[in-house]
Amino acid sequence: MAASRTPGQGAAAAARATFSLDRGSIVRGLAIAVFLAIAIFFLPTIGADWTTTFTSVAIYSVITLGLGLLYGRVGLISLGQVALLVIGVWTSTRLSFATDLPFPVLLLVTGAITCGVGVLIGLPAIRLSGLYLALITLMAAGAVNVVLVAINFPNGGGGFTGRTDTPDLSGLKPVARPSIAEGDTAYYRYVVVVAAVMFLVALLHVRGKPGRAWAAIRESEPAALAAGVNIVLYKLWAFALASFMAGVAGCLLAAQVGQPTAQSFQTQDSLTLLATTLIGGIFSLWGAVVAGCFSQLLPFLFQVQWGINPNFVLILFGAGLLQVLLTAPGGLAQQFPKDMANLGRLVWRGVGKVTGGGSGS
Amino acid sequence: MHSVVGFAVFGVDWEFLKPYIVLGLALGGVYALSGVGIVVLYQATGVLNLAFGAIGACGALIAYWMINHTSWPHWLAYVTCVAFGGVVNLAYGLLFGPAFAARDPLVKMMGTLGLALILLGIMAWRAPVGGAFARFLPLPSSSHTFTLFGAFVNWTQVIALAFALVLTAVTTAFLRYTNLGTAYRAIANDREITATLGVPVRRVEASAWFGSGLVAGAAGLLLPDLITSLDYAALTFLVIAALAAALIGRLQSLWVTFAGGLAVGLAQALFAPYASLARYRSAAPFVLAILALLWLSRHRVVTITRTAR
Repeated sequence: MAASRTPGQGAAAAARATFSLDRGSIVRGLAIAVFLAIAIFFLPTIGADWTTTFTSVAIYSVITLGLGLLYGRVGLISLGQVALLVIGVWTSTRLSFATDLPFPVLLLVTGAITCGVGVLIGLPAIRLSGLYLALITLMAAGAVNVVLVAINFPNGGGGFTGRTDTPDLSGLKPVARPSIAEGDTAYYRYVVVVAAVMFLVALLHVRGKPGRAWAAIRESEPAALAAGVNIVLYKLWAFALASFMAGVAGCLLAAQVGQPTAQSFQTQDSLTLLATTLIGGIFSLWGAVVAGCFSQLLPFLFQVQWGINPNFVLILFGAGLLQVLLTAPGGLAQQFPKDMANLGRLVWRGVGKVTGGGSGS
Repeated sequence: MHSVVGFAVFGVDWEFLKPYIVLGLALGGVYALSGVGIVVLYQATGVLNLAFGAIGACGALIAYWMINHTSWPHWLAYVTCVAFGGVVNLAYGLLFGPAFAARDPLVKMMGTLGLALILLGIMAWRAPVGGAFARFLPLPSSSHTFTLFGAFVNWTQVIALAFALVLTAVTTAFLRYTNLGTAYRAIANDREITATLGVPVRRVEASAWFGSGLVAGAAGLLLPDLITSLDYAALTFLVIAALAAALIGRLQSLWVTFAGGLAVGLAQALFAPYASLARYRSAAPFVLAILALLWLSRHRVVTITRTAR
């Protein structure tokens, strides 16, 4: 991977080292292209409620991407990502009632504001690590939830909260979707593209200098400090990136539902989000896609398609979390290919034995 | 609305606040005893049990079912509720405790999150809530009241506070003066060395799981009565208030945890009569816990931990 560098080649060599065109990356690139093509062209043709579900999958994979980066790359755990998502939803709703910002600008502004809030929470929390960081983010999430229940989402009123008890239903405009993507299918494709951009941003971070700094911090903070890594900067950077992603996801979610309600966000969502992120896998970006499917597609399949009580999903998540923690730290994204390879080898050997035995007798 | 006969100190009408103080101390008692249960388990096994509230809630739902759908005596339901906590906690400890023993405290905590999710799923599946339907788990002690300093007090409230006080005192003495308590403290220092000294580490840890679970069951039994209804989601997140108490006690000191629990309960109850603050009063445990955490970490610069795997 690491190409030997001669002076003078600088950035070009670095770029080539980051994205060297060996066979592995070509295969990987093709896989991503096929996946995106299926996601954009095939999936929306299944059915209307499927399209809505896949939109949620794409949105949640963006949040889990941020959480996965935080835990998998930097070793920081946050139980407050759902709170940041809520802040993103709230901010974008308030902004779209107050202004006429075009949707891409709204996305960026919401992301930036949520990012700011995340950094504000992260700044004191950065001194904590491990257990205590997880706890303080859980507490912050709980506090945000209480405030949300108290002030609820804006519904077109005045003042800071933008909430009125007598909403003018005729003039009520929900959070506007982008003009090029008003319909459900078009909006789904829009969300997939935004999510793809987020994954690209994550990939650039992981492959670049921040990724190396994060890896150093994760392995050993004192060693990273001794090596000259600016620990505070890179920890905050990771926090900011994860918060930005949560904010963008919040804005996408707000535009998907139009008028969000406080009832649709619960404190236990933080727990299920963490569980699905870990089950999906935190050491691979694919893990975020798997996690998005688990948190949104699975309940839909259970409830709507198979008619099973959706609360079984919670039990499944709990058991899956325990299993991942004990035996498969890489989550499904790493474990599944490994298991399939093992299975393939087993089958291959079995086939060999059967044919070998057959010719012998 | 209320009589202004009461004496006022610092402009606060204490006469008016009396019932809230009683309620706050009772709630605080439950938080305190839960906090003690959490701290003891953390000290002995390194596991911060986030399923503490879910276990209590599950026990309370079973007791509710026994009282309302069977003709068995009520005391049996109460005993089952407490015992359920002990058994479930012990089962988790026996099944997963050894597997997680060498891991980071963070990973151990997330393991209990798995247990909490499983219990939450089972409760949401078997005992769904819908519409105006609410469950109640009244204790016989609530119907006996007396007047103390001009405020109505029922025996459940007294039991909650007294139980917390007794539990804290007994646990402190137990840790200091008994062989098992010494083993707890030794394991808290270093599990491996304690094991080489001949202490049956797994059995000692199992006793901690069982004892902590009994406390979880008791908290699950007391709390629905104090907050008037049995709502398993609210009971599950009892763990947050208890955690706040435990964090105020630095996950170490039982008496500070006790005081922290009372403080959280009082803060939550005393905001209730003020309209502008009432809506935010359930944020009190979170805010207190955050402040405690920030205060704890004020001197730390670089953290040395094992890699999070």
